Amino acid sequence: MRKRTAAAVVLIGALVVAAAATARSVQSSGPTKLTVWVGWSAGHELVEFKKLAKEYEQLHPDVKLNVVGGIDDNKIVAAIRSGTAPDVASSFNSYNVANYCSTGGWIDLAPLMKKDNIKASLFPSAPRYYTQYQGKRCALPLLADDYGLYYNKKLFKAAGITRPPRTMSELVADAKKLTVRDKQGNIKVAGFDPVVGFYENTPDRWIQHFGGAWLNAKGNSAIGTDPAWAKWGTWLKSMVDWYGYNKLVRFQSQPIDEFTPSQAFETGKLAMNFDGEWRVAFIKNEHPELDYGTAPMPADDAHPELYGSAYINGTIIGIPRGGKNLDKSWQLVKWLTTNSHALATFSNGIRNVPTTTASGSSKEIQPDAHFSTFIKMFNHPKSGTSPIMASGNAYTNAVQRFFQGWQAGSVKDLQSGLKKLAKQLDAQVAQAKGGGGVP
Amino acid sequence: MSATASSAAAPFVRRKLPAAVRRRRFLLAVANHSLLIAAAIGFLAPFVFVVLTSLMTTNQALSSGIWPHPFRLQNFVDIFTKAPLWRWTLNTMIYSGLATLGLVISSVPVAYALARLRWRGRNAAFMVVLIALMLPPQVTVVPLYVMWAKLHLVGTLWPLIVPNWFGDAFSIFLLRQFFLTIPEDYLDAARVDGCGELRILFTVVTRLAKPAIAAVALFSFLYTFNDFFLPLLYVGENSHNWVLSIGLAQFRSAHQVQWNLTMAATLLVMAPVIILFFLAQRAFVEGVTLTGVKG
Amino acid sequence: MSSSSTAGTGAGIAAPVLRTRARRKAEWRRRRLVLLLMSPWIAGFSIFFGYPLVMSVYLSFMHYDLLSSPRWVGGANYAYAFHHDPQFWVAFRNTLWFIAIAVPLQVLFAFGVALMLERAKRGAGFFRTVFYLPALAPPVAATLGFVYLLNPATGPVNTILGKLGVQGPLWFNDPQWAKPALVLLALWGIGNTMVIFLAAVLDVPQHLYESAELDGAGWWQRLRWVTLPTVSPVILFAVVFGVIQGLQYFTQAYVAAAVASGQASQAGDTLNALGYPEDSTLFYPVLLYQWGFNNFQMGYASALAMLLLVVSFAVTLVIVVNSRRWVHQAVPR
Repeated sequence: MRKRTAAAVVLIGALVVAAAATARSVQSSGPTKLTVWVGWSAGHELVEFKKLAKEYEQLHPDVKLNVVGGIDDNKIVAAIRSGTAPDVASSFNSYNVANYCSTGGWIDLAPLMKKDNIKASLFPSAPRYYTQYQGKRCALPLLADDYGLYYNKKLFKAAGITRPPRTMSELVADAKKLTVRDKQGNIKVAGFDPVVGFYENTPDRWIQHFGGAWLNAKGNSAIGTDPAWAKWGTWLKSMVDWYGYNKLVRFQSQPIDEFTPSQAFETGKLAMNFDGEWRVAFIKNEHPELDYGTAPMPADDAHPELYGSAYINGTIIGIPRGGKNLDKSWQLVKWLTTNSHALATFSNGIRNVPTTTASGSSKEIQPDAHFSTFIKMFNHPKSGTSPIMASGNAYTNAVQRFFQGWQAGSVKDLQSGLKKLAKQLDAQVAQAKGGGGVP
Repeated sequence: MSATASSAAAPFVRRKLPAAVRRRRFLLAVANHSLLIAAAIGFLAPFVFVVLTSLMTTNQALSSGIWPHPFRLQNFVDIFTKAPLWRWTLNTMIYSGLATLGLVISSVPVAYALARLRWRGRNAAFMVVLIALMLPPQVTVVPLYVMWAKLHLVGTLWPLIVPNWFGDAFSIFLLRQFFLTIPEDYLDAARVDGCGELRILFTVVTRLAKPAIAAVALFSFLYTFNDFFLPLLYVGENSHNWVLSIGLAQFRSAHQVQWNLTMAATLLVMAPVIILFFLAQRAFVEGVTLTGVKG
Repeated sequence: MSSSSTAGTGAGIAAPVLRTRARRKAEWRRRRLVLLLMSPWIAGFSIFFGYPLVMSVYLSFMHYDLLSSPRWVGGANYAYAFHHDPQFWVAFRNTLWFIAIAVPLQVLFAFGVALMLERAKRGAGFFRTVFYLPALAPPVAATLGFVYLLNPATGPVNTILGKLGVQGPLWFNDPQWAKPALVLLALWGIGNTMVIFLAAVLDVPQHLYESAELDGAGWWQRLRWVTLPTVSPVILFAVVFGVIQGLQYFTQAYVAAAVASGQASQAGDTLNALGYPEDSTLFYPVLLYQWGFNNFQMGYASALAMLLLVVSFAVTLVIVVNSRRWVHQAVPR
């Protein structure tokens, strides 16, 4: 009995010690350790950021960087709430800037910028917009994304198409020519997959090319009133119906996951794809033999002036509340976001668009025919981004959910559905601001 | 229909059932067995497919082939390099081990007090225990999370372990049911010998209740091993402390097209539980019957 | 503790007074013992149940994101839930569907399998193990397995159906089939319920069957008039347990939606996957999680939790009250 008790006590003791060891360790003296949370995780992207981090460590021997990848907004918020936030955090998109800024979850960077004489005008207009909310600037842009058309040149040649489509009707016509089905009618090669929710197809990226507005002058949702939304919806449904919605779902459920070498465009299963500028680096790393081209996304036939523009969004970076090394964290953020060399190197590595006007024209940027399309689109005057709303990404998620129901046939009346959606969005924003359902 | 063996000396002639009845009984038995076999195939098939897929190469797992060609046992080695399975297992053991221990230690006294001691409000207390059993954890999860966040313990395993050291409604219920069946004579004998109530609890009762305690420990270990919601909430943001259930769900998103590896990992996560079952069958069945039949 | 008989009956003190004092002392000792034994649970109940329940009520009237302090909004959260949240009623209906359809199916299926097992003379042990094993599979692992098996394009199930000439449905990618697929997953794991039913069915006294047979009762009548009434308390238990599980149903829905949607896309916000496809797998606990931990809104999540509490109470009450009507009270043996 004694021996068993002793053994049990030892076992319990071991478990407790192991559990205690999972608690965070105390910082020892020496170079300051900064924890940096980033969203990158796939393939080469995290590797490139870590290279950049190493470069910073060499420039600043008093700092050691602990880079953690694969972070999303959930994790950042959870960490801030529990007081275990990293020194520097970055998010893949700007949807939650309103929350971070208004609650002080990410600290206001304006005083720090003023002290070091960093002006917001360093950044182009779109990134400047999506890193602040109602005057509080709690984030800075760290490379941006814009979205355009990737097309498979080999498949184009085989189908006799000489240039990429410039209007939506050309896109549909080309897609139909390029689609190959098997004997049962299932899609073997899709000319283009417009399904919302597939790869990078989201309403905010699409509506840019139909010229739709998100908000009216009063700041309420314009989805029910701006005809561009209904136009896009109708266009979307007609194309989905041509393929057959179920056939598209079946096509999509193959193992063609987006951030793997089996991605459908990279493997020739998809002739044209609406994708971000980072895909250039992925193709170079995974399928360098692919014969492809890049072009701006086609525009609505009624809005030829939009051709050449793109939807812009990007990685934002900031300093969460409660960090202990404010000064050193700010130095790192400043270097990453304003140093032309850092931005150019990183841009070359992951092929994202540099976010200062200075770095955009830096000589360090390696020229690349595919990538230069995206830089041109980034600077196009008509390029835009989505509005920063108090309800964060729940706002665009609600719109996406609506169109997913519409394209599948669950929503029957587009116009009345859009009006209802607009009311729901306004109620959602009012609720997020804290005050009930109706604005 | 059992034929009663007669103790009489006269030979007992067993009446033979009419052929029609015998035939019908036989056909029914055959039908029953066929259904059983069909059901068994249905129940086993998912396991079989998971095993087969875990032995495929990546390319084959992507296609619609069913039989691995070649067999790739290497997958089971690969998953350990692709994901920190050992770390996840350690975390799971810490969570399940400490939680089960605390649960048993804290639930036994409570169940004993509810079963064998007479005191005012005993029935009301038992009712409250039952009510706690019926409520979904989501009802209390938000304020609890706030509490743990303020204590800076979100991201560690403590929010998962600590509540189990304060008794668990289900275990209390099971143990109480069992304690009710202990004959008072045993306890009276101990009392006459001069044992204090606490001594009785720790020596006599605990020894008598070993099977029930084993069943409760088994169930609690299983429950914490399979737990996903609470770990997702509390350690989801700290990958260092992930348990197996979270790790497995995330494995899939990190290694998207490698279904063969995901299935291999799935199999490895299922394995300990199934092995435990075969080793501790009696405790399992005892525990299951404790819950339902006397319910 | 010590019985009153061992209390000192020393000379000089009147016996009845001594007995009362002794009894009160014993009484006090016993209460202290009860308190000691119950203390873990009392503490636990207050900290992990009572306090959160009260706080939940309080927070449900607040706007709270944990990044700043709570702000009073009165009934705004409830108003939003009932009138403006497009997902609230969807989630409510989904959970109700699950309780009304999945739970009875599980109970029926478990009962049917138990009956078959009871009749089987040979190999019952083997079959019982086979039927019980899936219940041991961890929910995440089981869900992953099923999503893979039911992959519309490359999964074994659709491949086999294809060989039989049937085009398999889109399973977890089709809003009409996603919930049935989850039900299939639930039926696969009814091992626990089945074992309980088996034990109960085996416990039915033989003489009841024999007297029924003498009265000319056929197989169905024996089932209806002997087996079912005797086993009814266990059926009730299984139903209540199933309903409780249904009201908390989270893991399988979460994992299935995340994995099935992750295959199709990573577009936009990957955290939008909950409820995929088209909110068909958005059960009430999933919605609650989404609002509290994805959308930064703990006040609203608390309001949702309060509503869940009310519904849980109501449903359990309805079942328990009605149980008297069709649960046969155990006949003393």
